[in-house]
Amino acid sequence: MSAGEPVDVVLVDDHHMFRTGVKASLDDGVRVVGEADTVDTAIELVRRVRPPVVLLDVHLPGGDGGGGAEVLRACADLQGEVRFLALSVSDASEDVVAVIRAGARGYVTKAIDGAALSDAVRRVAGGDAVFSPRLAGFVLDAFGAAAGDVATGDDELDRLSAREREVMRLIARGYSYREVAAELFISVKTVETHVSAVLRKLQLSSRHELTRWAAARRLL
Amino acid sequence: MTTTAGPASPFGAASRLPLRRPEQGRWVGGVAAGLAAHVGLPVRLLRVAFVVLAPLGGVGVFLYGFWWVTVPAGDPLEAAVDARPSALARLSRRQADAAPARRWPVTDVAVGALLVALAAVLVAGRAGRLDLDWVLPAFVVLAGVGLAWSQLDAAQRGRLRRRAGGRTPVSVLRLLGGVILAAVGVLLLVGQGSGRGVATDDLLQTVVASLAVLAGVALVLTPWWLRLVRELGDERAARARESERADIAAHLHDSVLQTLALIRARADDPAEVARMARAQERELREWLYDDRPAPGTSLVAALRGIVAEVEDSRSGPDGDPVAIETVVVGDRAPDADTEALLQATREALVNAVVHGRPPVSLYLEVGPSEVEVYVRDHGDGFDVDAIEPDRFGVRESIVGRVHRRGGEASVVCRPGRGTEVHLRVPVGPGEESAGAAGRAHDDEKEPPA
Repeated sequence: MSAGEPVDVVLVDDHHMFRTGVKASLDDGVRVVGEADTVDTAIELVRRVRPPVVLLDVHLPGGDGGGGAEVLRACADLQGEVRFLALSVSDASEDVVAVIRAGARGYVTKAIDGAALSDAVRRVAGGDAVFSPRLAGFVLDAFGAAAGDVATGDDELDRLSAREREVMRLIARGYSYREVAAELFISVKTVETHVSAVLRKLQLSSRHELTRWAAARRLL
Repeated sequence: MTTTAGPASPFGAASRLPLRRPEQGRWVGGVAAGLAAHVGLPVRLLRVAFVVLAPLGGVGVFLYGFWWVTVPAGDPLEAAVDARPSALARLSRRQADAAPARRWPVTDVAVGALLVALAAVLVAGRAGRLDLDWVLPAFVVLAGVGLAWSQLDAAQRGRLRRRAGGRTPVSVLRLLGGVILAAVGVLLLVGQGSGRGVATDDLLQTVVASLAVLAGVALVLTPWWLRLVRELGDERAARARESERADIAAHLHDSVLQTLALIRARADDPAEVARMARAQERELREWLYDDRPAPGTSLVAALRGIVAEVEDSRSGPDGDPVAIETVVVGDRAPDADTEALLQATREALVNAVVHGRPPVSLYLEVGPSEVEVYVRDHGDGFDVDAIEPDRFGVRESIVGRVHRRGGEASVVCRPGRGTEVHLRVPVGPGEESAGAAGRAHDDEKEPPA
């Protein structure tokens, strides 16, 4: 995919300096086709341009004060065509869970380097989920996986399967998808499938901790 | 394990929210929504419970009304955040949510219910089953009390006050109206009871009448007095928090400005600049995005301290500072076992930073019966068995420490995939975690509802 057409990206962040930095650090496989700096301009731009990927800051001024999650909700009907990758300087759990549950396909912190970010953009454009070690840690925490609370069936939304837990732990330990695949003797594609399944659970689960937390933050 | 998460997960830590009536997601007065957030039950369940309890002698209605007037309105989560000592709370504003408030047309419903009740009373009166002379005064008293108590609805009061900029004539009007209505109602009632009119020569009747008026007035004035008491406490607490907050802001500005000045002065030394920037970033991040636990209650806080120390004092093989990507799952109170684990972790981190190759990752997982640590770097690693006995570092300070606590330590090196040190120490269950301790503390401070 990286050899083909560059991926078009809309960049949403309220700091001009940061947007400039991101644009400079992205490699040739990613092309920035638009920029926005508030909730309202972001919604307008995304609806007009309909890029395959939007790099979305979590904390944004404007709109009703809902930040990135508000943009996600306003563009909910575009999901599938436009994919969102959340980008934030914050690594607080509520910020992460808010945008993921609103529909973002991944979450990376702004400390990420250009190559890794470009790679994450391509991954999201290809329909995969992007989990940073920290997001994997949150998932393990929220799903009680550290306490051995593991699903027995595939269709359970409220718990991780043993394999998903294993994948999440390796990502939390700093393994790349490729390294996870090698460690577990599975293909990279399978790792991506597991990660996407976890993302789906994170978005749809009515697990006690997630819903109570989300309800308290009025995300449901 | 059931659905209860690790005792001090970031989700569990904020679990016991104070009792407030949230403005968003309320149907009538927000009592069910607030109660649901407080006890952690689904809102639907509580709403059903209120409805089911309503016909049972009006228990549901009474409870609902009681909580409506006594529980202050507000966002439970914001209240929980405010309840934390601000020196320990994160500074960054939490995200507001744009979801529109869903409300029932309360006024329409109330007017409808009132009309239905009146119709029922009239029908009953026509049928001769009910003495209208008693019912109408009772209605007047009820209306007066309702009017007066409704001023306790703090949300409305706050909104009105903000708009009016100071004293609200509306609340005064409400109080006056309530008093007058209640007094008229009580007089009518008493007059009814005494036969013909209020003025009779029966002394007992007069005493009863005046007592009734006094009781009515007290009933009407109580919410006003309650409100005064509550406001006084709130204002005092708010002022204390404000000054604490100012201290923190001053501290932050000082440290950030000083670091920036230092960075400008040392601009020709990239390694030193990177180190200072990293240290400042860490400090700022901690102040902005984390709730800081009280000292000595959190294993995670102790671990972060060790990471900070290693990042600040050690450099990589080529002299560059190395950032340690830290991920933690769960938390607990530190004890002797985890202390040994932390010391071993520190040695492993130093080893990874000094002899390994970045990026360095650290993962800590607190399980119910053991604590695990993984330290990973991208260097070529080393073979534990091949270490000469005189190299005390790894063998004694990492492996030995953990073994003495009944744990395990292993080092895995894979060509091209770096080195990973895995430490595992068994811990006893039932220790109170930092999160649980914090919660118990919060509960203490809650006013008895």
